[in-house]
Amino acid sequence: MTETAKQEVTLALRNVVKTYVMGAEEVHALSGVTLDIAKNEYVAIMGPSGSGKSTLMNIIGCLDVPTGGNYFLAGERVDEKSESELAEIRNRMIGFVFQTFNLIPRANILHNVELPLIYGGVPKAARRVLAKRAIEQVGLQDRMLHKPNELSGGQRQRVAIARALVFKPSIILADEPTGNLDSRTGEEIMRMLDDLHANGQTIILVTHENYIAAHASRSIRLRDGLIESDIAAAAQPIDPGQAVRTMEMKSTGTI
Amino acid sequence: MRTTLDVHESFKIAISAISANKARGALTSLGIIIGIVAVITTMTAFNGMQSAFRQGAGAMGADVIYVSRMPWITMNDWFTFRNRPNLNLAEAEKLKNAFEGRAIVNPTIDTRRDLKYRSEILEGVTIIGTTEKLPIVTNRMPEYGRFLMPFDMQYKKKVAIIGYDVAEGLFGSADPLNKVINIGRQKFTVAGAMERQGGNTFGGPNLDRQVFIPVSTFVKVFGGRRFTDVDIAVKAPSLAGMEDLEYEVIGEMRKIRKLKPKEDDNFSINKLDSLMGAFNSVVGVVLAIGLLVTSIALFVGGIGVMNIMFVSVTERTREIGIRKAIGARRRSILMQFLFESAVICLIGGVVGIAIATALTFVINATLMPASISAGILVAALIISITVGVVAGFVPAYKGSSLDPIEALRYE
Repeated sequence: MTETAKQEVTLALRNVVKTYVMGAEEVHALSGVTLDIAKNEYVAIMGPSGSGKSTLMNIIGCLDVPTGGNYFLAGERVDEKSESELAEIRNRMIGFVFQTFNLIPRANILHNVELPLIYGGVPKAARRVLAKRAIEQVGLQDRMLHKPNELSGGQRQRVAIARALVFKPSIILADEPTGNLDSRTGEEIMRMLDDLHANGQTIILVTHENYIAAHASRSIRLRDGLIESDIAAAAQPIDPGQAVRTMEMKSTGTI
Repeated sequence: MRTTLDVHESFKIAISAISANKARGALTSLGIIIGIVAVITTMTAFNGMQSAFRQGAGAMGADVIYVSRMPWITMNDWFTFRNRPNLNLAEAEKLKNAFEGRAIVNPTIDTRRDLKYRSEILEGVTIIGTTEKLPIVTNRMPEYGRFLMPFDMQYKKKVAIIGYDVAEGLFGSADPLNKVINIGRQKFTVAGAMERQGGNTFGGPNLDRQVFIPVSTFVKVFGGRRFTDVDIAVKAPSLAGMEDLEYEVIGEMRKIRKLKPKEDDNFSINKLDSLMGAFNSVVGVVLAIGLLVTSIALFVGGIGVMNIMFVSVTERTREIGIRKAIGARRRSILMQFLFESAVICLIGGVVGIAIATALTFVINATLMPASISAGILVAALIISITVGVVAGFVPAYKGSSLDPIEALRYE
């Protein structure tokens, strides 16, 4: 178990259960998950298909509500909140980064990054400033008026990260952020996330790739809706070269 | 703050969505355009009919009571009035004496004759025998020359004042004054020509195709007592005294005709009011039918909009998921799509207004007086927006209720 006594707990799950009905059957996606995640932790959630990691991510991200158990975010009970309140939490406290980028296709980059601020009721002038700052943070200030289809995959993911950051969320939730990227671009994105973590951001990664999870300092493994293991890695620098070599060895069948 | 931002953003999204697929938007609004054109045209036609009627009937005057043999409006009870005796000039004279100094009494009597001047012939022109008081009762003045004078009546002179269309038909652009025309087999001298009246629609008399001659001459020349059927106009000194005047006129007529207290009137009192009432009820029915038909058109247009909005929502399922994930509430999604359908319908409404305005000008120039008032324009705009909101509501609501997780998975 991680030692969280001295650190502020950002997120706490207590015996969270998620069951849903598919046709005539009841599917138990999560059967009682309990965990704490503190501020500025870098956590990877791993597990095979059907382990419940997507469900867990959706619940942490307030896109879904647990069927049983409690979910505390920044000290507040989230599992009892209304749809409208959850929308507000997603708006301000959570920054999503998706595998498929999920940008609004007909709007330009600036508008895409501004969107959470728009829904959050931020006036125009302040919006512009915050959005531009986030875009500069990911190095895309020259492409602000471009549309997503004019950018490469890596650039799109950077936009998604800028959008996730713009409202200074409590957590960044990244779901297979490099899944649609080549290994080099994937590394860039992971480096960016690492930097964000180094600057104080709490990051939760959902992945099934070990070498991506290796960037995080804590690894929670799920199986059949329950936590199988929860291991804090010793703080050590990640050698990007090692990850690439591992990939090459995998693809040539050496491993 | 939050709501106004949503409104602005929703509007921009709507515009961007519509311009992304202009052809589809245009086709969708076509139904609305047709509906709006129909609605506006119905309303302007109704207005037009009313003002055309008023123009034509206006000559009768709102402050005039007409004593006639028959009521102006008869339906299946026409035959019950057949046995009534005609009004004649002697009775008119008595009535005039009874109201001397208090109200103006003017008899008219009419027939149809063919007119001839040199080689020009006008068939079936209405010849009206009347006195010099007619212009006072009807507010219609001659444009050239003069109207009848008392001495015309006194000496049974064969002078005629001709209507605008008659002047044009017989003389073209030449001066009609002092020319001699044939009315039937009689020769009359033209002493004046009336200004143009217009408003000759809906079975009303063509006021420009009339000729006025002295009533005494009329009786002498066109026939005697047998065919006389005089209408007597009594003009009230003021609108306020109309009701009292009506009672007095009825009383006097009964005296003149020596009717016993138990006997019904054997004459009719006609006023512009009753005519308007009957007209309004007929036109009212026409208006109701017109509006019903146009409502159906709008309904069909609205269904088209609803259909397209369903498509629009489905197309943007993923986008709805994204927006919800980054914090959009249901209300924002709802508003986004409601704006889209409202804007499509508003555009349809504006185009419809433009087309209907052009159509109205055409109708005004050819059929009847018609004009679009500001009220009709505002009503049309409100109707289009309402159709947009109502038609778009169900699809917008469905879109706003999408589960973000499902929506994000949608391909």
